[in-house]
Amino acid sequence: MKRKIISNTIIYIILILFAFTMLVPFVWMVLTAFKTTAETMQVDPFVLVPKVWQVENFSKVIAAMDFVKLYANTILMIALRVLCAVVTATFAGYAFARLNFKGKNFMFGIVLFQMMIPVQIFIIPQYIMVSKLHITNSPLGLLFPGLVTAFGTFLLRQAYMGLPKDLEEAARLDGCNIPQTFLFVMAPLAKSSMVALSIFTAVFAYKDLMWPMIVCPNPKKTTLAAALANMNGQYAQKYPELMMAALISCVPMIILYVIFQKQFIEGIATSGGKL
Amino acid sequence: MSKAKMTPREKNETMWSWIFIAPTMIGLIVLNIIPIFQTIYQSFFKTGDFGKGNKFVGLANYQKVFGDTEVWQSLWNTVKYAIVEVPISIVIALVLAVFLNKKLKGREVFRTIMFLPMIVAPAAIAMVWKWLYNSNFGLINNIFGIKVNWISNPDIAIYSIAVIGIWGVIGYNMVLFLAGLQEVPGDYYEAAALDGATGISQFFHITVPLISPTIFFVLVTRVIGAMQVFDLIYMIIDYNNPALKKTESLVYLFYKYSFEQSKKGYGATVIVVLLAVIMVLTVFQLIAQKKWVHYD
Amino acid sequence: MKKKVIAVLLSAITAMSLIGCGSSASDAPAEPAKEEAPAAEEAPAAEEEAEPESIGSSVEGELTVTIWDEGQRPGLQQIVDEWSAQSGVKATINVVDWNSYWTLLEAGATGGELPDVFWMHSNVAQQYMENDMLLDMTDRIAASDKIDLANYYGGIVNLYQSDGKQYAIPKDIDTIALWYNKTIFDEMGVAYPDETWTWDTFAEAAKKLTNDEHWGYAIQPGNNQEGFYNTIYSMGGYVISDDKKTSGFDDPNTIKAMELFTNMIAEGSCPDLATVSETAPNELLCAGKVAMSINGSWMLAGYRDNEYAAANCDVAVLPYTNDPSDRVSIYNGLGWAAAANGKNIDAAWSLIEYLGSKEAQLKQAELGVTMSAYEGTSDAWVNSVDCFDLNGHMKMLDAKLVFRPYSRVTTVWEDMMTEKLKEAWTGDKATADVCKDIAAEMNAALAEE
Repeated sequence: MKRKIISNTIIYIILILFAFTMLVPFVWMVLTAFKTTAETMQVDPFVLVPKVWQVENFSKVIAAMDFVKLYANTILMIALRVLCAVVTATFAGYAFARLNFKGKNFMFGIVLFQMMIPVQIFIIPQYIMVSKLHITNSPLGLLFPGLVTAFGTFLLRQAYMGLPKDLEEAARLDGCNIPQTFLFVMAPLAKSSMVALSIFTAVFAYKDLMWPMIVCPNPKKTTLAAALANMNGQYAQKYPELMMAALISCVPMIILYVIFQKQFIEGIATSGGKL
Repeated sequence: MSKAKMTPREKNETMWSWIFIAPTMIGLIVLNIIPIFQTIYQSFFKTGDFGKGNKFVGLANYQKVFGDTEVWQSLWNTVKYAIVEVPISIVIALVLAVFLNKKLKGREVFRTIMFLPMIVAPAAIAMVWKWLYNSNFGLINNIFGIKVNWISNPDIAIYSIAVIGIWGVIGYNMVLFLAGLQEVPGDYYEAAALDGATGISQFFHITVPLISPTIFFVLVTRVIGAMQVFDLIYMIIDYNNPALKKTESLVYLFYKYSFEQSKKGYGATVIVVLLAVIMVLTVFQLIAQKKWVHYD
Repeated sequence: MKKKVIAVLLSAITAMSLIGCGSSASDAPAEPAKEEAPAAEEAPAAEEEAEPESIGSSVEGELTVTIWDEGQRPGLQQIVDEWSAQSGVKATINVVDWNSYWTLLEAGATGGELPDVFWMHSNVAQQYMENDMLLDMTDRIAASDKIDLANYYGGIVNLYQSDGKQYAIPKDIDTIALWYNKTIFDEMGVAYPDETWTWDTFAEAAKKLTNDEHWGYAIQPGNNQEGFYNTIYSMGGYVISDDKKTSGFDDPNTIKAMELFTNMIAEGSCPDLATVSETAPNELLCAGKVAMSINGSWMLAGYRDNEYAAANCDVAVLPYTNDPSDRVSIYNGLGWAAAANGKNIDAAWSLIEYLGSKEAQLKQAELGVTMSAYEGTSDAWVNSVDCFDLNGHMKMLDAKLVFRPYSRVTTVWEDMMTEKLKEAWTGDKATADVCKDIAAEMNAALAEE
């Protein structure tokens, strides 16, 4: 019993230590975001908390960067990518899991193959396509590589494979044809995997940096991530402004995460764990 | 595999199958499969101004890559990053996952906090850490009263960046391990406890073998991920940073050549090299897994 | 159980990938080649399509104007808004950081989607002009009553000329001067910099101005125009020969100039490379961490808007070497350019014509945005602020003006130079040896142009 208390104490200390390490950068981001530049460059005495909270840093950054627009761009890109991923993967995943057809293995081989290739190898040709289609600096350009998803197809296939066969049989006996069986019986049952795929797609779309930097260099048309990178080059060492921008870009995401943390974590866990 | 005629039902099924997979397959072929060959094709060309007048140069780009110390150095930087980031993040995440798998008070809170970096854009993470690391005004040096050039000393900058990588990915790995641990039946531990096994030996003799498939999965995907490190380096290391040459990764070079200097042919060559390296590493891991991964 | 899938999956993939590559490699070359051909034809087609649209006086949507300096945005937007009020066409300025700017233009040029109006720079102007990416303004200038190229500094006009055609209207001219922190000078009992300073005085002062709290001077390792280029030419060295065929980095005078700076770092009167790469000299100046910084006139907005700098700093002319006549300012000037195949060429030209007019150029100077390329407007710029005596910059116009060294692909050898010089700044290698290395590589790069 005593040993258990000791070991639990050690566990708590380690957990708290790591939780602290995880939080410090965020705390420092908030503190810096409200300082003056002079305060950030003060070493002696080292300033931890701003003397006067510089709320106008917020308006300064908002004036320089149109965050409303950036958010709109980012959300639109995420929505489009999630929609495309879920729709295409739900159909294809079902066919791969439950239907028989010639060439199935070869086609599924292509899906698996794509999953193993580093994405950068696609970027130059994809970029050339986007620029020939004249959809650079547009939501469609941002969506482009996310039109279909090999990973999602695989994920949904796994989900359908885990469903019992007799449901389909019953539907067929009731006179449902294939699309009806799929739409009314099977697809609803894979909902949790669709949610997982949506979250997975959304998180990674939000984090993507290189693609928006390449196809949407226009700072008004791009995503938050790319706009931050641009600002990083622009403001060089004005850390209060930079931290404020970082803060504005991640606070809504953090709020969403805290509210839907269960879905977030499970979404990521099932999409990773399904493999 | 007889060529017998399909029944109408089979025909119907085949038709619907192709309709269902068509969007995905067309997309994958156009967006991914053809581009692989285009990239390889492009790696045999020298790119002209604004993508016009590309010149076929055969294997010249590959010859140049193999003689290019910058490419070799960047491969080495990438490997160094991966060697530090992958194992350390896996070990820490595994330990944390085991702790959080116990019935502890507040474990939800800990889990939420650890996972937090995962949902923040790497661009924001990089900016914050760049500031934490600042040698004159950064929090780290001033709190500990030291003077280390974390991100501008060529000898340590890549490790400083790997630390950020670890910090950012622990939560993700941990969540995957937690999912794996939940499938481990409790009776294994009860039996072990009866045999008098301590927590630590339980960890090595029960936990690790039982979730070795998950560890293997995380390992393979993290190695691939780490070999593609770009965001952190791009955001943190400025072009006049003395550590640039000792931190730039292969993907960074790819970006620099392809999109900043618009030498897409040479950029394509660099990325083909990365593809080859990742393939070799993955095959190697597949062979090695037989020695340590236990499937029940 | 399901974890077993991983192993099967991964082995399948690897097997697949090997087969996949082998079997399809043979038909690979044909595929992209097909795609390449129509694209080349597409570009001119799009141009023709766009042309009739823009002839109509009503312009749809708004013009995009892209620049790289956030400091200049507010002032320029004000000027652009005045044009909008006259023309009825909206135009918004986008700011993209220097590196992304060139990625953006490059991408735009390749894909036929350049911004309507944008800045051109000596580094790459030649390349863009030769490839017909920029709008040829020759005839429009001839027809214009607002633009007469004789009114601008000649070096800048020439820069944007190729084959006798004019591709950009000069926007600004810049001079380099010595910014300093009066408070630190007072504290350390050193006289403020003035016209009598030589580069040796400068180095000695830097030594005197250094203590535990601050350094005497901070170098910009990545921006040669705001630093050693001035000294190189002042000391009689050169960076590139007039015919742009050979490098001057192995010239003894060039090496002497570089050694002035590397010695300062070695002595500690200039912070080491790690420090300046993490915190730029102008930021150090604004934080009271450095007494002197050599900066271009385009930095005015940044210093003016910084409370500390406005209260404590001022600006003086750059030092000379042997005689005031060898005081050198490396100058450069941006040009306003437009896309050759833009959708609203007439509107774009109208905006550029306005931006180049005496009225707008004067306004640009008055607002303290930058010194204007229109000759005789710099007095307005000097009077644009009270906190600094901008005569320091203004008088540099009377110094020996040397155009910023460039060639067709400036960035190639400039990047190489920045990279190689790191060894000299850190002291890992003798400055003279580094300079000779640079000269050798630069000569090779120039031979390839």
